[in-house]
Amino acid sequence: MLAVELDGDAVRAKSGSMVAYDGRMTFKKLTGGGEGLRGMVTRRLTGEQLSVMEVKGHGTCWFADRATEINLVRLTGDRLHVESGNLLVTEAGLRTGTTFTGLRGASQGGGLFTTTVEGHGQAAIMSEGPAVALRVSDRHPLTVDPGAYVAHQGNVRQSFQSGVTFRTFLGEGGGEAFQIRFEGEGLVYVQPSERTTFAGEV
Amino acid sequence: MSGCPAAQGPVVHDPSSLPADDNVNAYTFCVELAGTQWFLQKGKMIAYYGTVEFDGVGHGRLDRLVRTSFHSPLHASDWVVAGGHGKMLLADRAFDVNSYDLDDGNLTIRSGNLLAFQPSLSLKQSIVPGFLTLIGTGKFVAASNGPVVFMEPPIRVDPQALVGWADCPSPCHHYDHGYLTGVLGGLRALTGVGGASGEEHQFEFVGAGTVLLQSTETLMPERAVGEVARGAGVPGGGPCGPEGGPGAGSRPSGQLGGLQRRFGL
Repeated sequence: MLAVELDGDAVRAKSGSMVAYDGRMTFKKLTGGGEGLRGMVTRRLTGEQLSVMEVKGHGTCWFADRATEINLVRLTGDRLHVESGNLLVTEAGLRTGTTFTGLRGASQGGGLFTTTVEGHGQAAIMSEGPAVALRVSDRHPLTVDPGAYVAHQGNVRQSFQSGVTFRTFLGEGGGEAFQIRFEGEGLVYVQPSERTTFAGEV
Repeated sequence: MSGCPAAQGPVVHDPSSLPADDNVNAYTFCVELAGTQWFLQKGKMIAYYGTVEFDGVGHGRLDRLVRTSFHSPLHASDWVVAGGHGKMLLADRAFDVNSYDLDDGNLTIRSGNLLAFQPSLSLKQSIVPGFLTLIGTGKFVAASNGPVVFMEPPIRVDPQALVGWADCPSPCHHYDHGYLTGVLGGLRALTGVGGASGEEHQFEFVGAGTVLLQSTETLMPERAVGEVARGAGVPGGGPCGPEGGPGAGSRPSGQLGGLQRRFGL
C-alpha cells in the first residue's frame, strides 16, 4: 500500500486504485492518460491503455491494487519505461507517453508498445513480489526473462535474444528460450515471479 | 509526494553487491556460477549477469549428468542445467524461497517446492508419490508458501502444511481413531451432518530428524515427477494384483517424458 501526502498538489494514479484517504480530496478522471488529444489518439492506436485519475487536495491518500508490491522509483530527468498496467502513481512533475518496444513487448505479452515516464519526481510501480533493482553498466550487461521484467530506467539499450534451437522443437529446450539483454547505463527492475508468456512454454 | 517509510528508494544491486548463493530478499535467490553448474526447474530464472547457458537435461554431453544426478530420468525433462560464469537470480511465482545445506544427508520434499539444486546432490523420486528425495552433500533452493518452520519429531502435521522432511524414518498417516470410531464422530464423518473439524487426518513423524512445514495450508501446485515403473508393490505404480499387469499407457522406464509433457500440454 502506498501512502501519499498531498498539500494542495496533485498526483496521477491508476483509476480505481484509491483505497482510503483522509482530509479533502478530489478525484478527476483524465481521459487518454492525461496526455492531451495527441496522447489520447496514440494510446487508442497502440492499445497501450492507461486509465488515470488526478488526485488533488489536502491530506493523506492511500493507493493499492490487487495486493501487489509497490516500488518507488525516483526520476531526475531520466526516463522510465514501464508497462501501463504496472504503473500506479506518478507525481505531477512527471509526463507519461508511449513508445515502441518491438519484440520485447510481444514476447512478454504486453504488446508492442510501452509507457514512458519522464521528468523529475517519484513514480510508484507495481510488481508481483518486491522488485529487485539491478544496475546495468557497460562492464556488466544484464539478461532478463521477459516474464519477470517490470520496468527499466536510464540510458539502456535492449536487445532481444532467442535461444531457440532444434532442441526446443524436440521439447528439450532450456526453458529460457527468449531473453532480453540490457546494455548501457541504467537500472532494470525484475519481479520474483514470471507472467505467463509464450516464452515460458518453450 | 512522500511515500511509505521506505521512501529513500530501492536498494540497487549490481554483480558485486549481489550475494553469492544466498537470498537477495525473501523471494529472490542469487546463484553464483563460476564454471560450475546448477540444476533448476524450467523457467525459474528471472535475470542474470555474465554468460550463462541453459540446456535441457538429457542429451549430448549432459547425458552423463542424468546418470549421476537423476537416478530416475523420468522427470528429467522438467529440469535444465545452468552453466557458465556470472550471477543468476531465481524466483518462483513470488513465493518465499530459501536455501538449505545438506551434509551427507537426505531430504524428501514435495515436488512442487523444489526450485534448484547443485549437481553434487542427487535427485531421486521418493516412493511416497509426489515427493522427491535429495541425497548427498550440497545446497538446494526450495520455495514455500510463506516462511518455512523446522520442527522436531515426534510430531503430527497437517497434510497441506507439509513441505518435506529430513532424516525421518517413518512418515505415516494418522487418523483420529477415537473420533472417527465414536458414534457421533462416525456419523458426522459419514454423513457430513454437523461438519467435521477438518483435522481428523494428519501425517505423523517419529524418530530423529527434522520436519519442514510451511506457514499456510495453501498447497503449491504439484509438478509431475514422472511415472514410476509399473509393477506389483510399487506405490503409485498402478493397480497390482492378479489382473494388474503393466498398464497400456506405460513407457519402458529410462525414457524421458512423453512428447505432450515436454511441450507442457
